[in-house]
Order: sequence, then C-alpha cells, then structure tokens
Amino acid sequence: MSATSTRPPDTAAARRSATSPAGRAMRRARALKGIGYTAPTAAIVVVLFLAPLVLVFWMSLNRWPLLGAPRVNAPDNYTRIPDNPLFLDAVRFTLKYTVIVTVMLLLVALGLALLVQERRRGTGFFRTTYLLPSGVGFAAAALLFYGFYSTEIGPIHGILRSLGLIEETFSFRGTPNSALFSTIALVIWRFAGFQMLILLTGLQSIPLELYEAARVDGASRWQAFRRITLPLLRPTLALLLVLSVSGSLLAFDQFFILTQGQPDNSTLTMVMVIYREAFFRFDLGAAAALSVVVLLVLVALNALQLRVLRRRD
Amino acid sequence: MAGVQLRRARTGVVLAITCLLLLSACGGGDDSSGQSQGASGDTGATITMWTRSATEAASRRLVERYNATHKNKVELTPIPTDNYQPRIAAAAGAKNLPDVFAADVIFMPQYTSKGLFLDITDRIDALPFKDNLAPSHVELGTFEGRKYGIPHTLDLSVIFYNKVLYEKAGLDPEKPPTTLKEFAEHARTVREKVGGNVYGTFSGLSCGGCIVFTYWPSVWAAGGEVMNEDGSQSTIDSPESVAVFETWNQLWKDGVIPASARDEAGPTWTSFFPKGTIGVMPMPSTTLGQMPDNDKVKVGVAPIPGPDGGESTFVGGDSIGISATSKQPDAAWDFLSWTVSDEAQVEVLAKNKDVLARPDLASNKYSSADERVVLMNEMVGKGRTPFALNFGQTYNDPNGPWIPVLRDAILGDDVAKALQEGAPKLTQSLQQQ
Amino acid sequence: MTTATSKIARSAGFHTTAAALAILFLFPLAWSGWSSVKGQPGSSQASGYGFGNYGYLASYGEGLFTYVTNTAAVTAMTVVGTLVVSALGGYGFARFDFPGKNLLFLATLAILMVPYATILIPLYVLLDRLGLQNSLVGLSLVFVMFQLPFALFMMRNSFEAVPRELEEAALVDGCTTLTALRRVLLRAVRPGLVTVGLFAFLASWNDFFAPLILLSDASKFTLPVAVYSMQQRTFGAIDYGALEAGVVVMAVPCLLVFLLLQRYYVRGFLSGAVRG
Repeated sequence: MSATSTRPPDTAAARRSATSPAGRAMRRARALKGIGYTAPTAAIVVVLFLAPLVLVFWMSLNRWPLLGAPRVNAPDNYTRIPDNPLFLDAVRFTLKYTVIVTVMLLLVALGLALLVQERRRGTGFFRTTYLLPSGVGFAAAALLFYGFYSTEIGPIHGILRSLGLIEETFSFRGTPNSALFSTIALVIWRFAGFQMLILLTGLQSIPLELYEAARVDGASRWQAFRRITLPLLRPTLALLLVLSVSGSLLAFDQFFILTQGQPDNSTLTMVMVIYREAFFRFDLGAAAALSVVVLLVLVALNALQLRVLRRRD
Repeated sequence: MAGVQLRRARTGVVLAITCLLLLSACGGGDDSSGQSQGASGDTGATITMWTRSATEAASRRLVERYNATHKNKVELTPIPTDNYQPRIAAAAGAKNLPDVFAADVIFMPQYTSKGLFLDITDRIDALPFKDNLAPSHVELGTFEGRKYGIPHTLDLSVIFYNKVLYEKAGLDPEKPPTTLKEFAEHARTVREKVGGNVYGTFSGLSCGGCIVFTYWPSVWAAGGEVMNEDGSQSTIDSPESVAVFETWNQLWKDGVIPASARDEAGPTWTSFFPKGTIGVMPMPSTTLGQMPDNDKVKVGVAPIPGPDGGESTFVGGDSIGISATSKQPDAAWDFLSWTVSDEAQVEVLAKNKDVLARPDLASNKYSSADERVVLMNEMVGKGRTPFALNFGQTYNDPNGPWIPVLRDAILGDDVAKALQEGAPKLTQSLQQQ
Repeated sequence: MTTATSKIARSAGFHTTAAALAILFLFPLAWSGWSSVKGQPGSSQASGYGFGNYGYLASYGEGLFTYVTNTAAVTAMTVVGTLVVSALGGYGFARFDFPGKNLLFLATLAILMVPYATILIPLYVLLDRLGLQNSLVGLSLVFVMFQLPFALFMMRNSFEAVPRELEEAALVDGCTTLTALRRVLLRAVRPGLVTVGLFAFLASWNDFFAPLILLSDASKFTLPVAVYSMQQRTFGAIDYGALEAGVVVMAVPCLLVFLLLQRYYVRGFLSGAVRG
C-alpha cells in the first residue's frame, strides 16, 4: 500500500508513527483491543491448562493420596524413576516407535501427495479416499482394527493364511515386532491422508516456473525433485515432523486398545506407564513426576527440531 | 509502559493460579466414620452404586429386588471392568465416589489401605449373622483390625468337566479327577481319544488373573504357599508350586492345550468349554448358570486338587462397602445389610444358582436341588483368598511382572528356574510403596 | 515409445497404483460395516445377516438416543465455543500487538505437549471446584481447550493471509474493529473457520478418554464411552458384533460431515492457511 504524493497525508499512518504522542495512545488502544480479543483464549488456557499444570508440578513433589492430605516428599518421586524398569523400557520403546512411525508415515504421505498432485481424471476421488480414514475417531479406528486383526472375525488372518504367508497360530499381537508393525499400520492408515493434505499445500506453493526452468536446463525428474521440491517443502516437512514426533512420543490410545503393552510389555509407551501409576497404582505423585519428565523431554525435543530446521533455511 | 503492564499481567496470573492451587490442594482428611446404626436407614433416599460389568448381572438382580421392596432406591451404574480402577481413582480424587461400590475382592486390601471405604466394623458386628459371612471376603476387607467390606458376589474356581467328552474318551463320566496328576491324564486321554478340534484342557496363558485363579488352589491343596501371609513376599518357587506348574508345562508341551491359549488375555478363555471342545478345565463357578445342557455338553464339577490329592479353591468375586465420601451411610448400610440377609441370599442369589455369601444358608431349597451348587457352596469354607496390598498391580495388571513369569514357566523349558527367577521380581512389586 | 503411448502407459500406471491404494484404504471401513451385520456367535446376531447388533446397541444402557443426544450436545457446544474463541483470538494474534502476546501463544501451543492422563486428574478436581464436574458443559470446555492449539494456529494464519486493505477500508468507513470483523473478515476466513469447526466436531464426537473420567452419571455418557463399555460382556468376553456396530454408528456421522464439508476443508488448507 503506497501513498502517492498528491494524496493528503495519511492520517492513519501518521497516527501509527512511533514518536508522536497520538501514536503512543493509538498503540495502547490497539494493544488493549488485542488483549480483549485474546481474553477468552487466555481465560481458558490459564484456568483449564496452566492451573492444572502447576498442580501437576506441585503433585510431583508430594506423596499424593486419593483421599486425605498430601505430604511433601520431594525429591523422592523423581529419584525413584530410574528404579522403575517399566518406565525405562517404555522410554526406549517409545523413542524407537517414534522414529519408525514418523519416517514411514512421512514417506507414505509424500508418495500419496506426489501421486495425486497432478490434475488427472479421478485425483479428486482418490484424494478423498485417502483422506477418509481421518473422519474416523482414533479410538474408534483402534477398536476397528482390533476386530480387523482378530482371529475370530478378522478377514486378513484368513486371507494371509490362504496365501500361505502365515501359519494358523500366527497372531498379529503375538510377537513384539508383529505387534509393533500392526499398530504402525493402523497409524499410517489413519494419518497418511492428513499428512498428504498438508504436503499438497506445500507442493502447491512451489511455482511451476522453477520446474519449467529445470526442464529447460535438462534436469531429470529425480534431480528436479531433489533440488527444487525437497528444499521448498522444508517448512511443511518441519511442521509435519513436529506434529508427528510430539504425537508419537505421547502415544497411548493405539497401544492401549490394540496391544495393551503386550506381548511381555514390549509395546508399552511412556504415557501408558504414567496412566498405570495414576489409575492403577493410585500413586498420583509418581505419575505427576513422570509426566513432568515427559513434558520436559518434549519441550526440549521440539525446541531442538525447530532450531535445527530453521537454521538450514 | 508495556513492561509494567506485562508485570501486572504476570502477577495476576500467578495470583489466580495460587488461589486455584490452594483451593484444590486443601481437602483435608474427612473423618466421617458414621458409626450410628440406630435408626432404620430406609428413608426413601437414592443410593448411588457402581459395580464392575463382569459381575453386573448378580448386582442387578439384588438391586431390582431391593428397589421393589424398599422405599430407598439404588441407582446402579455398571462400569466396564477394564475402566473400573481409573474411574474409582478419578472419583476418589474429586472426593466424589458413589455411596456404595463393589470391588474385586483381591483389590480390597489396596482400597482399604488408601482409605476409600468407610469403617463399618460396628455395623457388621451388629448383624445377627456376623459370623456367617464368607470368611475370606471379610478377612480381605479388614485392614489394621477394622472392617470395611462385606461379601457381595462369590466366584470360586472349580474343575468343570464335560461328561459327553469323557464318555467318548472312554472315561467314567461320574468320576472327575481327584488329583492334579489324574486331571492331566484325563485331559490327555480326551485329546488323544477324541482329537480333531477337541482339546484336553485350556488356560488363559496371557491372563494373569486367570492363572492365579485356577492354578494356585492346586498349590494350596498340596499344603504349599505362593506368598507369605501379608502378601509382601512371593514364594512362587516353593516345591509344591513348581510341581503344579510342571504339570501344566507338560500339558502344553504335549499339545493337550490349543495353541490359541498362548495369547489368550482373558476375554474368551471361558468360551471354548461351553462349545464342547474342551474336556476338563478349571473355571469360575459363576459360569455354571450359563452352561448349556445338550448332546455336546453335559457339565460336572469337582474341587481343584493338588498334585497328589487334597482340594481347594480360590474364593474370588466382589466385596462391597460404603465409600468414605458417602453422605448417607445409613441408607447405604440399609441396602448392604439387606443383600446378605436370608431373604436376599436365598430368594435372589440361590434361586439363580449363585454361590452364597452366607455359608450357613448353603443347604437352602434352591441350592440343594443341584448337587453341583451344593459342592460349590461347600468349597467356600475350604478355599482361600490371598491377601496382598499390591495384588492387582503385581498379578492382574497386564503390564505387571506376573505374566512374563508365568509364560516363562509354562511355555519355557525349565519351570523351576523360571519360578526361581520370577519370585524376586514379584516380591519387588509386592513391596513397592 | 512415442509420447502418446508413454502418456497412456503413465496414465495406466497412475490409475492402477492409485486404485490399489484406494482399495487398501477403503477396505477396513467396508469390512467394518459388513461385519456389523454379519452373524457372530456370542453377539446379538448369532448367525446369518441382520441388524441384531444394532438392536442391542439401541437398547443398551440408557438407550442409543440418550447417548447420541449427549454427544451431539457436547459436540455442538465444543464447535461453537472453539469457533468463537479461536476467531476472536486468531484475529487478536494476527492483527494486534500487545504485551504477553508471544507468551500466550506459546502457552497455547504447549497444550499439544501434555498427555491426557497427566492433566485429567487435576482437571477433574478443578472442574469440581468450579461446580462443573460431571457436566456436559464442563466437558465441552475441556474439549475447547484441547482444540485451541490447532484452531488458534489455523485462524491466526488465515487472518494473516487476508490483505490489510480489506480491514483498512472497513475501518476508514467508520466500523469498529468488531464490526469490521463481523461484516468483512469472517467471510474472508470462512475456509479456515470451516476447517476449525470440522476438527472440533471430529475431536469432540469421538473422544473417549475425557468423558470416561469426567462423567460419572450413566445418563450423561457419550457415544464412545457407551460403545466401549458395551462390547465388554460378562466375564470379560468381547462382543465383536457389538463392537463393529458401535464403530459404524460412531463413524458414519463423521464421515458424512467430513465428505460434505470436504470442499471447505481442502480449500482451507490450500488457501495458504497452513505454512511451516
């Protein structure tokens, strides 16, 4: 927006100037308006999120019974964490799961996005189909797959058996690896469409002229992909990475419903251990301490990711 | 300017949070023990009650009869068994438990030690039949000398055997096994002589609760122990226990148990016997009511024996008590005391072939009509309910230490070693603060 | 190979791959619907085909109607609440500067990093102090809170993408910021609003864990809690027929809403509302 020399001085611009007293008053008025608009957000965040969060920190420093008064026992809840073998194994497993599922999900989503990005007959239909699982709730999807994988009514057990790929005694939840990858299949089914959509927006923002220029220069499709597509997709990939990593580190529903941490506690995630401490052992202080640890890990990881990805820009 | 505003905003937030903190952090120990038992509690009050979905049927029968004959009304909410613990935790945390709630009897030590139930020692002692309540339930509802719970539903582990399959296998259908060794032989015979999709026996080999329920009685019948008396130490590696697990280990190795048992976590472990595909297996007594009686399945029951004889049972089921936060303990007690009265026990429970919480009523007209029910009622006095504060998190919790230990013992090659290595892990969990 | 044949080959390749993937994605949903009407021993539809499982679902507990109404009420409140708070807040973040702005935004994003199990018990205690425990209103407020990170992010970006001239023109014409917002800007960010509303709908319709803990009255239960409870029969046996029927009942409204609003949803993303 530019002011031409023949127009009278732009009073709005003058009002917003940093030095004049009118400018400061204007800024304060706008600041108050801003606070007004974000007041409902602030109210909800403070009352329903920050307050319970502070309570969680406080609980982690106490022996917190279900009924009756709490007693400070800091730092016991924290020093006992290394003695909790379930938690340490869960940390290892959750990290392993996060890495595998993030990479696989991204690859599948990228493949889908590249497939439907061109305008061909039917891309709209295919795009909708891949997105459809996003309409099913995550817990509902897990329940669906619970029946899907079961030997009693599930179809693929029979199909794979008749193809000779598995034995009669095979169970999708029978070994640590089969349990892990069966769950990853559920997650990919449910979230690939969503990530594909986000990637599509990223792909769409890349100007076509760049590809034209590359073709004129004789670059192959693969080179164009590596030199143009990937770098320009970086912000989108960064967003997906943050969402995926955070979500995976907090994984709960899918393993809770599909595997219950079995077999032999090999698919137990960090949040499942927290859940067990709070709701099964009734040790709220210990659960709070574990939660604080997980929260700090997440904050650190996200900060790290964002810094690394931003620097390369 | 902005700095001051920011600081003011920050102080405001801190103040708000501190207020909320103080509000929620102070909720000191309520000590309403409500020891009055004078006036009748049937005042037309509404009593809220929670029960586990696994035992909903029996609870509902009692509630419906009570509501039809009293001014008070009980509002029953069945909670899915898997979610029972979390719901209790959340309700307790907000000091908002229902007036009355049932609990798996082996969780009673944990609940009473956390103060979730009201002290009803005096109320129980005022009952005319106070010495005739199922002893092991009362024991598990006792903490530091005070009583907090009474029996609600009884569920015993007994041997079920299919007389039809016994005949087909050439076994005497009126002679159930009297020792664990005989049990194993019978199971083997059924598998060998009948075969096909019929197996000798079944177990939930990924179900911690199922195994303690069905295997431990054999250890007790042999005079052995699986834990010390206060449940703070595991003796799962005792010689009697090793002998029991070795029997089952051999049955698994010989293919007498279907392969699907390996991953059976509990949902379907009792569904095969009624289909006529299992010869003989220990199961909950509460399944008797739903057993078919046709040309594939004719049910006989027998007590669970030890390797060389003896008999015992795991006295399970639910206990029930008044929650510590209830505002109407008298009305709640009116209902609870009625559930263990003669009328309720005989007309509601016995009529349905349920095992009674009152062993003195065992020979009532309904129960004595079915000799199997008579047997199960008799076992109430001969069985045990093991006591441990951390029972649930050690044995029932799918993520507890018990399942890996039992799987190692039954599916592995060295039973004694598996149990010896498992005992300290179980002890550690039993002693966890 | 001429360009024409290679084009046909590429097209055939595309269509086969895309179709194969489409089958993979649709199969579980189709199977779920089919198995909900197929006979399952141990369920309410023991053999043959029929709607026995749905019949069981309809009469279970307080009745399907109650659960659906509860879920609809909570969902409606959540969607409205989320839209109002995030539209106002998104506008505030996009167009105004004020102290504590970044702090508030970061605090909101931090909601994404805290697991449910952690926050639910203190939340339960807090709602009780506010007199909102065991209430559908309290539950909706909690849902709105969980939607805020995504909703605010979307709306802020949507507002930022609107050219300032639009707003300036309205302000010059004498509107206050609020009327400007109402008359002009909301129309401009409609795709973003629809996306936010859709996500809020899906999340609150399907959420299972929060109502499980925060609601203690059976008459207030929502659909997911009812479906999850109902598949656990006596002795812990699982009723697979009921399970799949429940999944279908939960999924069908969502899929319908999803398909109907798909135009806006996709446009919401493609309009540049989401950038890294």
